[in-house]
Amino acid sequence: MIKLDRRLILNFDWTLFILVLIISGIGLLNIYSAGFSLTDFRQTPLYIKQLEWILIGLAGMAIAFFIDYRFLNRHAYIIYGISIVLLLVVFTAGYATRGSQRWIAVGGFTFQPSELVKLTIILALAKYFDRHQIGRSYHLTELFIPFTIVIIPFLFVLKQPDLGTALVFLILFLAMVFFVGLDWRSLLIAGAGGLILTPIGWYFLKDYQKERILTFFGPERDPLGSGYHIIQSMIAVGSGGVFGKGFSKGSQTQLKFLPEQQTDFVFSVFAEEWGFLGGVILVVLFFSLILWGLKIMIHSRDYPGALIAFGITMLIFWEVFINIGMVLGILPVVGIPLPFLSYGGSSMVILMTAIGVLLNISVRRFILQS
Amino acid sequence: MWKIGDRLGGYEPGQFKHRFRMLFIIVSVALSLLVMRLWYLQVIKGDELRQRSENNNVRLRKIKPMRGLIMDEGRRVLVDNQPSYDIVFIPNRTKDIRKVIEKIRALYTERSLTFSTLTSPPDRVKPFVPVLLERNVSMEKLAVVETHALELPGVATEVTPVRQYLNGEMTAQLIGFTGEVSPEDMERDATGKLSPGDIIGKLGIEKFLDGHLRGKNGAEQVEVNVAGKAVRSLGRIPAELGDNVVLTIHSTLQEAAWTAIGDRAGAVVALDPRNGAVLALVSSPSFDPNLFNGGISFDDWENLSSDIRHPMENRSISGQYPPGSTYKPVIAAAALEEGLITPETTFFCNGAFEMGDRTFRCWQSKGHGNVNLHRAIVESCDVYFYNLGKLLGVDRIAYYARAFGLGAPSGIDLTQEKGGLIPTKQWKLSRLREPWQMGETISLAIGQGFNLVTPIQLANVYATLANGGTLYRPRLIKQLESSDGHVVKRYGPEKLGVLPVRPQTIALINKALWGAVNERGGTGYILKRKEQDVAGKTGTAQVIGLPQDEKARKKKRITADLRDHALFVGFAPYGNPEIVVAVILEHAGHGGSAAAPVARKVIDTYFALKKMTPTHEQAQSAAEIRGIAKP
Repeated sequence: MIKLDRRLILNFDWTLFILVLIISGIGLLNIYSAGFSLTDFRQTPLYIKQLEWILIGLAGMAIAFFIDYRFLNRHAYIIYGISIVLLLVVFTAGYATRGSQRWIAVGGFTFQPSELVKLTIILALAKYFDRHQIGRSYHLTELFIPFTIVIIPFLFVLKQPDLGTALVFLILFLAMVFFVGLDWRSLLIAGAGGLILTPIGWYFLKDYQKERILTFFGPERDPLGSGYHIIQSMIAVGSGGVFGKGFSKGSQTQLKFLPEQQTDFVFSVFAEEWGFLGGVILVVLFFSLILWGLKIMIHSRDYPGALIAFGITMLIFWEVFINIGMVLGILPVVGIPLPFLSYGGSSMVILMTAIGVLLNISVRRFILQS
Repeated sequence: MWKIGDRLGGYEPGQFKHRFRMLFIIVSVALSLLVMRLWYLQVIKGDELRQRSENNNVRLRKIKPMRGLIMDEGRRVLVDNQPSYDIVFIPNRTKDIRKVIEKIRALYTERSLTFSTLTSPPDRVKPFVPVLLERNVSMEKLAVVETHALELPGVATEVTPVRQYLNGEMTAQLIGFTGEVSPEDMERDATGKLSPGDIIGKLGIEKFLDGHLRGKNGAEQVEVNVAGKAVRSLGRIPAELGDNVVLTIHSTLQEAAWTAIGDRAGAVVALDPRNGAVLALVSSPSFDPNLFNGGISFDDWENLSSDIRHPMENRSISGQYPPGSTYKPVIAAAALEEGLITPETTFFCNGAFEMGDRTFRCWQSKGHGNVNLHRAIVESCDVYFYNLGKLLGVDRIAYYARAFGLGAPSGIDLTQEKGGLIPTKQWKLSRLREPWQMGETISLAIGQGFNLVTPIQLANVYATLANGGTLYRPRLIKQLESSDGHVVKRYGPEKLGVLPVRPQTIALINKALWGAVNERGGTGYILKRKEQDVAGKTGTAQVIGLPQDEKARKKKRITADLRDHALFVGFAPYGNPEIVVAVILEHAGHGGSAAAPVARKVIDTYFALKKMTPTHEQAQSAAEIRGIAKP
C-alpha cells in the first residue's frame, strides 16, 4: 500500500503544493486580520483554530499522497460507503446538538461528514466510469447507478438542511457526466426533466432558503431582511476600492454587518481590506491552481487518475466561483465555503486531503511510466 | 504492472486534451466574470460604495428581543427581564478612549459618583466597534452622560434587556443562564438565525428551550449625526418577544428541598408519579446565575469553574451514584417475577453471607434471623438480597433494572443528562476485558458495585412502583405560551413503557416500602407521620471499597469525602400516591438519619400546601392570583 519510493520525492509537484500553501496562508492572515473581535475570553481565537485545521489538513494531505491513488480507486466504493454511513450518523447522533444536524463529534472536534462526501463521490464516480467504459457517449439509462451514487447523499444533505453542499454534489455529478460524455438525445431529455423537477424541488426547500433565493432577485426591496446581507457584502467589497483599506482596517467587517463573515462571506473581508488588486491576485492564484489541476488530469497515466483529478479540480473551481459570485452579488446566497479561505475545519481538511490525492496522481505519472 | 492501452476503451495519456481546451474556456470565462464584477464594484462604484460605508450616516441597528419569562407550575415568575442601561463608546472621529474615560470620570466626580469599568479599556480600538464602558448604570449616571452628550463624542447609552433570576441559587442548574453567542454556537447553528452579539441560553431550561425563549431580532435603520447619535428612524422591524414557559416545578416545594439540603452537597427530585411531572429538582451546592447577566467577569468565572464542589453541575440529572439499598425493590421484583421466590420464602440471616472464599456482611452484624420478603425490605436485610442476587444472576437483574428506566437517560427536558450504568456480563467483558465474577452480582443485589443511577432515574423507579407499573418520561415543561398569553404548546404525560411485573408483585413491594417507614424496626421510621401515609426506602451507598464492618471502619478514621452517600426514596400518600421524593446527600452517612429528614420536609410541605388548597383546580387558580399579586 505505502511504498516509500525515492521518485515520490524527486518528482514531487512543488508548484501545486506551494500554491495551496500560499492560498491557505492568505486565508489565515485574513482571519487574523479580521480579528472577529472575541467578546468571550473563554474562546480560542479563530485564527489559532484555523491554523490547527491547516496543520491537520497537511497531515491528511501527506496520508493521501503516500497511499497510491490506485489503492483509493480499488476501494472507492467502500470509502464511499463509509462516508455515507457517517452522513447517516449525523441523523441519529447529530440530534444532540439541537437545531443543527450537520455535525458529528470526533474527540473534541466537530466534523461535517458532508464535506468528506464531496471527495468520496468523486472517487466512487471515477471508479464507476473506469469500470464501465463503453467507448462512446453514455445514454441516460446507463447513468442510473452513478446517479444513485450522488442522489443518496444529495437527499440526506438537503434534509439537514444544507442546500449549498447538496448543490455541490449535483454539480460534481454533472461535471463528471460531461467529462465522460453524454449523447445529445439524453442531454435533451435530462434538460427537460430538470426543468420539470425544479418547481418540485422548490417545494422541498426550507423557508429561509426560499427567502434567500427570492431576495437574490430583488435585494433592494428588502433592505432590513435577508437582502441586507447581500447589500452589506457588496458595500464591503466595493468600499475596498482599488487598493483596499489595509490590513485589519475593514470597517464593514469590524462592524459585524455580515453574517457568517468568517465562513461563507470571508471573501468580502479580504476584498474590503485588499481591494481590487488583492482580489485579482487571489482570483489569479485560484485560476493557476485550477489550471494546474487540469494539467495533472491531462498527464495522468490512467483513466481513473484523470477522472479523479478532474473531479477534484472541478470541486475547487465551482466552490470558488459560486462562493465569490455570491459575495459579489451575482449568484444567490447558498452555503458554500471558499476553498482554503473560509473558516471551518471539515472543508479545510477535506480539501487539503483532496490536494494530497492530486499530488499523488501528479507524481505517479512518472512512476507508472517506467 | 499496468500497460498503456491494455484496457477496455484504450486510455491514452493526453486523450483529454480536447476536454482541456473546453474546460480552459469555461474556467477563464467564469473567473473573468468575477474579476469584471470586482472591477465594477471596487473601481467603478468604489468611491460611491466607500462613501456609503464610511461617511454613510445610515446605520442598521439590531433590536434585541426580550426573552420569554419562565414561570413555575402556579405561574409564579422565576425568571424576569430587567432593562440594563449601559454606557458604550463607539470610536469614529474620536479614538482616544482614555481621554473619554477621564472626561466621564471628571463629570462623575463633580457629583460624587464613582466610575467603574468592568475591565481595563483596550489599548487599541477599532473604528465603529462599540466598547462597553460601564454596565447597568444608575439613572443618575445616565442623566450625567446624556446631558453632557456634546462634550462626550462617540459616547452613547444603550438599553438591553437583562435576565433576572429571582430564585437565584435555588433553581440555578435547573433554569440555567444566558450568555453571548460564541463562534462555536454560530458554527453549530443550522437555522441561520443567530448573529454575533445575540444572547442565547447556555445551561438548563434556558438552553433546552432557547429556540422558544429567545424571540427574534428586530432591526432599525437609523440616520446618525456626526457625533454618531441616532437622529431619525428610517425603517424598523420590531423584535419578536420570546415565548413564555410554564414549568411543572412547584417553587414552594423547590424552596423546601433547597432549604432542607442546606449547605450539604446532593440532590432532591420530586415527581408526580401519576404523570411524570417534575415538582422539584434541586442540586447543591449551587451558584448565582445572576453573575452571568451580561457577561460574567473573569474572576467570577474562574471561581465557579474551578470550584471542586462543581456548583454548576446539575447533580439531580447528571450525578451518578450507586443506589445502595434503594435498589432492593428492583431486585425483589425481579426475583418474584422470575418465580425464584414467593412472598413467604425465607432466608436465614446470621449477619454474613459466604460466597466462595469471600464473606459479605449484613449491615446488622447480629443478623436478622429468618426473614421473608416483607421483613427483608422493612429492615433492609442485606443477606436476604445476597441470596436473591445469587439466584438471579447479573443479566436478569439488568433486564429488570432497564425496565425500570435505569441505565439510560430518562429523557427529561434538559441537556447534559447522564444515563447511569447497569452492568451486564457482556458489558464487563467488552469494557474491562474481564469475565464477570459471581461475587460482583452479590454486591449488585444491594445496590453496590458497578451500578450507577442518577437521582432523577431513582425517583422514576419509585414513581413507576407508586403508580402500579407505568414508566413515564419525567417532564419539566407544562406549557409554552406566546407573549400575549396564548398557549402555543401544552405538554402531557408521555408513557415510556410498562413494567414486566404483575400488579400483585408491585402491591407487595409497595406494602413493604410502607412497612419500612411505618413498622417498628423499619429503616425509614424517622419519616413516620401521624397520617401513616409515607412509603419508602433508605439507602447508604459506599463511596469506595470500605471495610464493611463497623469496627474496621472506625479504625480507619474515615474522612468526610470518603464517607458514604445517604439516600432516601419514597412516595405518599401510600393508598394513592401523588408525590415521589428522591434524596441523595453526598458523604452524609446513613440514609435513614441524613436523607430521610430532607424527604420528610418536602413531603410535609407538599401536604401542607394541599391542605390549604383542597383541589387541583382551586390550587391553580389560587396560585394564579398569587402570581399576579406578587410577580
